[in-house]
Amino acid sequence: MDWKNLSAYWSKLKSGSRGAFQKLDDFSRRFLPTDRTVRTIWCASFLLSLVLLLLPLVIRLDGKTHADWQQFLGRFHPLMVHLPIGFIVLVPLLEIGSKYRPALREAAEFVLGLSFLSCLGALTLGYLLAYGSGAAGAGVSRHMWGGIALTIGVLLCLLARPYWVSGTVTRVYPTMLMCVMLVLVWAAHEGGSITHGSNYLTKYMPPTLVRVATLGIVHANTAAPTSFYAKHINPILDAKCVSCHGEAEAKGGLRLDSYEQMMRGGKDGAVIVPGKPEESLLLQRVTLPADHKQFMPAEGKPPLTSEQISWIKAWVQQGASASATTISGISIREETPELPRMPVGDYSALMPEIEQMQKGQGAKLLPVSSKATDGLVLNTEDVSANFGDTQLAAFEKFAPYIVEAELGRTVVTNASFDTLAKFTHLRVLHLEDTAITGDGLVKLAPLTQLIYLNLSGTKVTQAAIAPLAAMKNLHHVYIYNTPAGPAPVVAPVENVAQAGVPNSDQAK
Amino acid sequence: MKQHPLCTDTEVEQNVLGLPVPAGLKREWAALQTRRHFLGRSGKVLGWAAIASLLGDQALRGDTQGAATMDAAAGGFKPPLFAPKAKRAIYLFMSGGPSQVDMWDYKPNLAAQFDKDIPDSVRGAQQLTGMTSGQARFPIAPSHWGFKQYGSSGTWVSDLMPYTGRIVDDMTIIKSTNTDAINHEPAIMLMNTGNMNAGKPCLGAWLSYGLGSMNDNLPTFMVLQTKLNQKEDNQPVSSRLWSSGFLSSQYAGVGLRSQGDPVLYLTDPNGVDRDVRRKMLDAVNEINQQTYEELGDPETNSRISQYEMAYRMQMSVPELADLSKEPQSTWDLYGPEAKEPGTFAYNCLIARRMAERNVRFTQIYKRGWDMHGNATGLLPMLCQETDRGCYALVTDLKQRGLLDDTLVIWAGEFGRTVYSQGGLTKENYGRDHHPRCFTTWMAGGGVRPGTTYGETDDFSYNVVKDPVPVRDFNATILHCLGIDHNKLTYKFQGLDQKLTGTTPASVVTGLLA
Repeated sequence: MDWKNLSAYWSKLKSGSRGAFQKLDDFSRRFLPTDRTVRTIWCASFLLSLVLLLLPLVIRLDGKTHADWQQFLGRFHPLMVHLPIGFIVLVPLLEIGSKYRPALREAAEFVLGLSFLSCLGALTLGYLLAYGSGAAGAGVSRHMWGGIALTIGVLLCLLARPYWVSGTVTRVYPTMLMCVMLVLVWAAHEGGSITHGSNYLTKYMPPTLVRVATLGIVHANTAAPTSFYAKHINPILDAKCVSCHGEAEAKGGLRLDSYEQMMRGGKDGAVIVPGKPEESLLLQRVTLPADHKQFMPAEGKPPLTSEQISWIKAWVQQGASASATTISGISIREETPELPRMPVGDYSALMPEIEQMQKGQGAKLLPVSSKATDGLVLNTEDVSANFGDTQLAAFEKFAPYIVEAELGRTVVTNASFDTLAKFTHLRVLHLEDTAITGDGLVKLAPLTQLIYLNLSGTKVTQAAIAPLAAMKNLHHVYIYNTPAGPAPVVAPVENVAQAGVPNSDQAK
Repeated sequence: MKQHPLCTDTEVEQNVLGLPVPAGLKREWAALQTRRHFLGRSGKVLGWAAIASLLGDQALRGDTQGAATMDAAAGGFKPPLFAPKAKRAIYLFMSGGPSQVDMWDYKPNLAAQFDKDIPDSVRGAQQLTGMTSGQARFPIAPSHWGFKQYGSSGTWVSDLMPYTGRIVDDMTIIKSTNTDAINHEPAIMLMNTGNMNAGKPCLGAWLSYGLGSMNDNLPTFMVLQTKLNQKEDNQPVSSRLWSSGFLSSQYAGVGLRSQGDPVLYLTDPNGVDRDVRRKMLDAVNEINQQTYEELGDPETNSRISQYEMAYRMQMSVPELADLSKEPQSTWDLYGPEAKEPGTFAYNCLIARRMAERNVRFTQIYKRGWDMHGNATGLLPMLCQETDRGCYALVTDLKQRGLLDDTLVIWAGEFGRTVYSQGGLTKENYGRDHHPRCFTTWMAGGGVRPGTTYGETDDFSYNVVKDPVPVRDFNATILHCLGIDHNKLTYKFQGLDQKLTGTTPASVVTGLLA
């Protein structure tokens, strides 16, 4: 419905309203206050509430953008909306305060009135914003109904308050005020979710609090995603698109928050055409010149990087599948979060012994950093030729404080795995170019903090290192130049540098 | 001070060192004594004054901290401020200023602008070098070579570097490095020491001073020079670049020769066995110790420790330079050139061996990148000499598990202009010095792999996004090694000196993993 239709509708409503109002007045006489003024107010309020409730059904949020002036005014909604919030919160405070300072009672009435007026204002602007900008998601819709319910609630409070003040009806007003507060919290939260995203509050919530908040219910979809879409495409859309094209707003009727929703498309049809990136509206829009009217993301929000666009393009090209795990030509470095350093205990009491040890044996225990809890590094560099299983065993006493053991090029053997198993805080273990064969590597399993293991230049075999796969924090295992991992072959290149291939563009 | 025989004053002058004053004050006094001692001696013969000026920066020191920190230092290990990502670094220094336009900073749009003048708005009011400031025009010289995309990051790399292209997914390429200096010596000093003037410690010296050694048998800071190619335009490289400046000279870089024995006179002469050498050293050290006690000059201690280091290097260096046990795969990787001492590939291999032996900082110098003319003649030669070495080094470190905690740095002192110096033809051109933008790269411990940082304009002339000035570049390197560039300071001439200088510098977090 456009605004011409609306004005026609409005004049019709005006002419008809007189009779309807009279009827309503007569009807209400049966159970409403006898005072004529009060009755008029009640009827007017009832009518207004009805209008508010019917408004969204008459002027639907259709997901299309409309006149610019609506958006212009509408954008004052986020500003205006804070007024009713402030006013409404103030009302119960004033009511409570009036017990001690009766003058506040009058103020409460005034503020309640202001709450209502500002609610109406915010509601109008909010509606203009949603209608004008073509927002039409479930979140917007919830927020809208919240606003309407709130406005009506405040109106009812206004009506009920005189009876509470005079003492005739004591329970209704406080109850309603309480309800209004609850509606306020809900409506405001929905509004915040539209602007900031639904996980805004929970994103940095401490895990324990999350467990409390979710009552320990773990969502089924927390399993690590495996498909290319879930791992790489969805996060891009989530970061760059979903704030407008999500469940909350769904601008242009388009939602990009799930695969199914995306494939459903928006008001302008499909946005992804599998196999045809050039026909896919989504790719067209994000690759327009940045100053183009239809460029997405709109309104100066951060654009997609060329890398992200190339991923989406390749994914669409190869069928835009929801389940395909790899896309040929695209390999994305996976950021495996490294295990954070676990603080080691206080070893200051052992310092004299540590120094003694160093002087005697030559192998050193060096602090990782000036922070003592970062632990010690066992450095055998200067004595590697004489550092064997017995020497290592002598360090067992300091084992809980050692986070790195540099045993490369030493003469330790498989027998040392028993000792090493006691180095519970070990993060990094160098065994390169030693005589170990890997028998007993499985004994390292208790080293849950181990992230790096260097076995290069040893005699380990594939079978020997197989048990390492079970160590989930062990991301860096090096087996270069071993039976398990022979040296890779270097492919030669044609000697272009010498030939001096001219720049192809220039040659044209 | 001894009393003059003709002096009638019989009162004995008190020795400050005997007074009940704090030890620090005594050391300060001793440091002053050094200067007087030196001047006293040099006053006798005028010729000494000349020597004084030659050695002056060591003997006429303005610092008093050296003595105080002497006991703690002695080349030993010092923990970094915070847990570092990289324990050691290898710096491939491309002296002369490699051309970012031809190697890294791909500008396909320039091809259409061949021989057109670069817009004045791009150059702005920049002062050019004397070599091109007189030119009537500044014609755009597009790169003579094509570029290809490499790796999953799709990074564009010149056809000049087919090997290096393969490691782009391990590299962090910085296209927005920029410097304040436009001529070689100040620029190369700024890059290495954080200051255009000589006399400041270089990055390697700061690292030795701040972190110390992880290997007692090899120097903390090693310098490898690549053999000269006389066809190239070799700008001089001097030991100022690896000097320790006002820091104790034990932190200076130790150079390995590019030809013959890596260290001269390292092998004992015939008839001198290791015991004899030991006895001799003990005696020399005793004498030096007496000098130290008399004068309190920390340089004496440096001398003692360097004699000791040389003694240990007699064992460790031959082992380091013995490549006979390298498997065939090494030669397949580094190429046949690596067998020839002094080549860039050989130096890269030695650098890897030093990384294995926990040498803290290795710097490889490759000269000849100064291509004012004949770019199409010089650049293929330069790239061919270095391309495979860079690739092999990073690949080798990676497969051996060393890249996790070794930072590899590739940089020159500045870039080259997009416009041609001298005549521009379809076949050839030259490029002048260009400080406003140049490309550098890092790989390994602490930096984010597979990324390109910073952007230049369409002419590879000005930085348009994320500039990285030299001080930030150095601050980032220090950060990777666990050092806060603002905290690693040394009081000299009344200033808490630091590598990054007095202009506030910041770590470039966009480069970090």
